[in-house]
Amino acid sequence: MAIIEVVNVDKIYNDSEVKVTALSNINLTIEKGEFTAIVGPSGSGKTTLLNLLGGLDSPTNGKIRVGDVWLNELKGSKLIDFRLRNIGFVFQSYNLIPVLTAGENVELIMQLQGVSARVRKQVAADMLVKVGLADRFASRPAKLSGGQQQRVAVARALASKPQFILADEPTANLDGKSAENLLQIMEHLNRNEGVTFIFSTHDQRVMNRARRVILLEDGRIKSDTLQ
Amino acid sequence: MSYLKIAQRNFWRNKRRTAITVSSIFFAVLFAVVMRSFQLGSYSLMIRNAIEQYYGYIRVQHPDFADDPSLENTFEFDQSLPETILRVPNVKAVTPRLETFSLASSGNITKGVLLLGIDPEAEKQFSNPEQFIVRYTISKNLTDISGMKPAFTDEVKRILGAHAGESFTDSVRLARIFDDHPIDAAQLNQILNLSRVQGRFITSNDSGVVISSSLANFLNIQVGDSLVMLSQGYQGTFAAGIYQVVGIVRMPNPDLDNRMVYMPLQLAQNFSNAHNLLSYMAVNLNDASDEALVAISNGLRKALAHTSLDVKTWQDLNRVLVQQIESSNQSGKAFLFLLYFVVFFGIFGTVIMMVHERMHEFGVLVAVGMQKIKLAITVLLEMLIMALIGVALGYLVGLPVIHYYHVHPIRLTGEMAKMMMDMGFEPLMPMAPFGSYVVWQGISVIFMVLLAYIYPARKILRLNTVSAIKR
Repeated sequence: MAIIEVVNVDKIYNDSEVKVTALSNINLTIEKGEFTAIVGPSGSGKTTLLNLLGGLDSPTNGKIRVGDVWLNELKGSKLIDFRLRNIGFVFQSYNLIPVLTAGENVELIMQLQGVSARVRKQVAADMLVKVGLADRFASRPAKLSGGQQQRVAVARALASKPQFILADEPTANLDGKSAENLLQIMEHLNRNEGVTFIFSTHDQRVMNRARRVILLEDGRIKSDTLQ
Repeated sequence: MSYLKIAQRNFWRNKRRTAITVSSIFFAVLFAVVMRSFQLGSYSLMIRNAIEQYYGYIRVQHPDFADDPSLENTFEFDQSLPETILRVPNVKAVTPRLETFSLASSGNITKGVLLLGIDPEAEKQFSNPEQFIVRYTISKNLTDISGMKPAFTDEVKRILGAHAGESFTDSVRLARIFDDHPIDAAQLNQILNLSRVQGRFITSNDSGVVISSSLANFLNIQVGDSLVMLSQGYQGTFAAGIYQVVGIVRMPNPDLDNRMVYMPLQLAQNFSNAHNLLSYMAVNLNDASDEALVAISNGLRKALAHTSLDVKTWQDLNRVLVQQIESSNQSGKAFLFLLYFVVFFGIFGTVIMMVHERMHEFGVLVAVGMQKIKLAITVLLEMLIMALIGVALGYLVGLPVIHYYHVHPIRLTGEMAKMMMDMGFEPLMPMAPFGSYVVWQGISVIFMVLLAYIYPARKILRLNTVSAIKR
């Protein structure tokens, strides 16, 4: 069974006087272990789709299943708890907690899950090893480069043992070398540990590495290709 | 890593903002504690001066004496009465008094005075007026005395002139008039020698009187001089007498210092033809709180139920003082409210800044799975840490200040002192010792912080995750 199923999803914003259709009639499934890029020009609905997949926003019409749970059936704290245990997030601007060290940022997710201090310390160290930052456990985000911060963000997302990781333009703020490094790590995690990654991106390098590319235009899926 | 630890780290995140908030709280607590302490200290002094040194917390008297304090409303002194009163729990001291108004003359100067017939031994345990016996008086012609070695400087002469006629209970108090313009020891000794007064307090069998220092100054009277007293006695009889002044007292309460004449009880009864009659029994207490006052006066009423005597508290008898204290208390509270109002908006401003600066972060935390209530608790902890540090610093600085000025009250001088004395108050600004009012200032500030916390709590609990992340 696919880990994500999107059925007839529309997303219409009614905030202003003019209705804006961000997504229209989206149907797709994502299988476990995919390395999928959602691409398209600005305003095509990439981030909106990612927000819907992550349960951060709800569709105007249609429904989304993650694992065996339909997200529209979850509300409030139950939805937050579902995200905590099932979905990993990597944001464009890293979004680490500035007052916590790299290790503590990774630990925070596990702390929210109720993992014991001893276990989460060990897991956080392991995750940082996986992203090549074993020696930066005690560094605050301000002391890390953008690439390193984004790798900590990947480690944080991994630490919750999610069903999949959503990454919104993960390389957008990185220089070429850092972006390449990050992509190698994510690809390695995908190939060797079966971590499912779904990206939204403009970055051609990400598109080249993705094994499935979904092209969005004007809120519709224009193409869905395996590479 | 606990939420408290996250809160602690966030506390230091924006040092400038934290410093502004903590210092707002610090100054609020400091000002509030110091100001309130001054207020309560002043009330306590007013009560002590007026009540303990004259009125007494409770009076046992003829039922009509409160409305018409004349000799006609006196009562027969039953020797067992003091014992009956002392048996009531919490009663500290009791003293019999005969009080009447009289004219007092010396030379061609006359003034209306308060004649207080007292039992000197009982009074010693009560208001102890003996402690106010004047030992030094700066005579009006002190600066005219020639042959001084060393001679007084113009500045010393000016100060002595300004204090001419003033009396002091000890040399330290006299020396204080030179606080702003120190003089050498030889000159001070010379002044002390020339100002010394040989007075004493009256005894039970005395035939003399003790008068207050401002009255003595007004009547231009000294120890050893005679005082002519003229009044209406009991049942309209004519009362007159001439008495030697054996001592002068400087009453802390300026109003009393202007008009007090102490006379042994029996002498006063003889003078007034009010043999074995008393105006009232004045009662002092161990615990003078409002609750104790009610309990003790009820106890006294019960103990004296077999007599026709009435029991009145100082608040019943002294409405003006009660109203003065109450109005000052209310204006003080209003000022405190204004202070807290200003400080609240200071705190609230920094909280708004903090929330808007961190909305994105809040959004991310909720997105990755932090429950909003846990996030709200973390922010509450941050704000409480800030509040507790501010309050602790306020106490740390404020408590030594109030302790110091409780032990060493500020003595007002110049116009300010004159104004206070004209209003009938001792020109002193003592601070109240540590008490529940100190704790309340801290609680009030923490309450304000909790009030300001409503804003971030509301923002967090109503957070739209997508909008917050977009910021």
